Amino acid sequence: MGTVFSFAIVTGTLAEAAVRAAIASACGILHRCDAVFSTWDGTSPVSRFRRGEATLSQMPPEFHQVIEECRAAKRASDGWFDPWAMPGGFDPTGLVKGWATERALGVLRDTGVPGALINGGGDVAAFGSPANGQQWRVGIRHPWRPDALAGIVETSAAVATSGCYERGPHLIDPRTGQAASCAASATVTGPSLTLADALATGVAVGGDEALPAVSRLAGYAAYLIRADGSETSTGGIEFVR
Amino acid sequence: MRYEAGSVVRHRRHRGRVRRCARPARPGGRAVRRRRAEAHQRRFPRRQQAGLGPCGRSRHVTGILEQYGYGELSVTVTVHGTQITNVSVPVLRTAEPYSQQLAAQVLPMLKSEVLAAHSARINTVSGATYTSQAYADSIQSALDKLHLK
Repeated sequence: MGTVFSFAIVTGTLAEAAVRAAIASACGILHRCDAVFSTWDGTSPVSRFRRGEATLSQMPPEFHQVIEECRAAKRASDGWFDPWAMPGGFDPTGLVKGWATERALGVLRDTGVPGALINGGGDVAAFGSPANGQQWRVGIRHPWRPDALAGIVETSAAVATSGCYERGPHLIDPRTGQAASCAASATVTGPSLTLADALATGVAVGGDEALPAVSRLAGYAAYLIRADGSETSTGGIEFVR
Repeated sequence: MRYEAGSVVRHRRHRGRVRRCARPARPGGRAVRRRRAEAHQRRFPRRQQAGLGPCGRSRHVTGILEQYGYGELSVTVTVHGTQITNVSVPVLRTAEPYSQQLAAQVLPMLKSEVLAAHSARINTVSGATYTSQAYADSIQSALDKLHLK
């Protein structure tokens, strides 16, 4: 996926060997997802599917799961997240990283540790507490200052951010199929990183027009920094700074 | 204009918090304060101002149109008490499109709240997907190194 995954695990009483085994298993899931969904690898299942060289029935189980998640996310985002509107065919990249991270977190949860957090290239999935019943504190990167934050939110689940300051204008407007005028930064918080990832992509593209879709979803909130530096958010984003 | 890491621009998002003047009142009645203000104005004349208001009301100060090498711009600063509450650019004329594009990226830096990451207590940073290369320079990388110590 061309990025870095960071793990933070509150080990509790779990032995170190067991924790390391869990991390290895989680990484295995991430590598597997990369192998299935990398659009940079011409031999991956998703690339073959996009070129029409393989049918849906030939796709691995992960692919079917992701398609279902994409259908739900497209509905939930009022179409601002639409993997079927991408150039070259169906492209679930805007959701896969969040989905893979959530699955990897599930492995850590199964070990019974009191808390864990995985940051997959800027998308965060977590459970439990870092210490003493506190919540995980997530800084939101400032879009124009790599050494600074635009705000800090507390989460017990997921925070996803989308924007164009790292990779340039790479987002597509589903209405036109062309490069979208991108918000500076779009952050979505909520119970599921899979959906939050897709919604953040949608808000980065749709801007203010995509916010009502997030407002309608129970437990989800969005924070938008527009290209001109102005900001807005849906109800439910609680900044601690 | 450059912002150093660690500087904080107060932002309208802090709702409900009453702004108080940072400077304590000096002794002397209203007449004394007015004479002091007039003396100050004579020593440090401003190019244009909306007039001194009592602490607690916003004032707008606009600088003259400046040539900055790639075009011209003027900046308006809004001050509430002694705090800058907004900065805007009413005039920006650039020589060619590249400068306009650059300005569109640079100018928003004047507005957003800037929190120094090194002084904030955070567990992790959420941002647009960084490349493996960019990770090395990122705040997240610094956090990860801290935890590994």
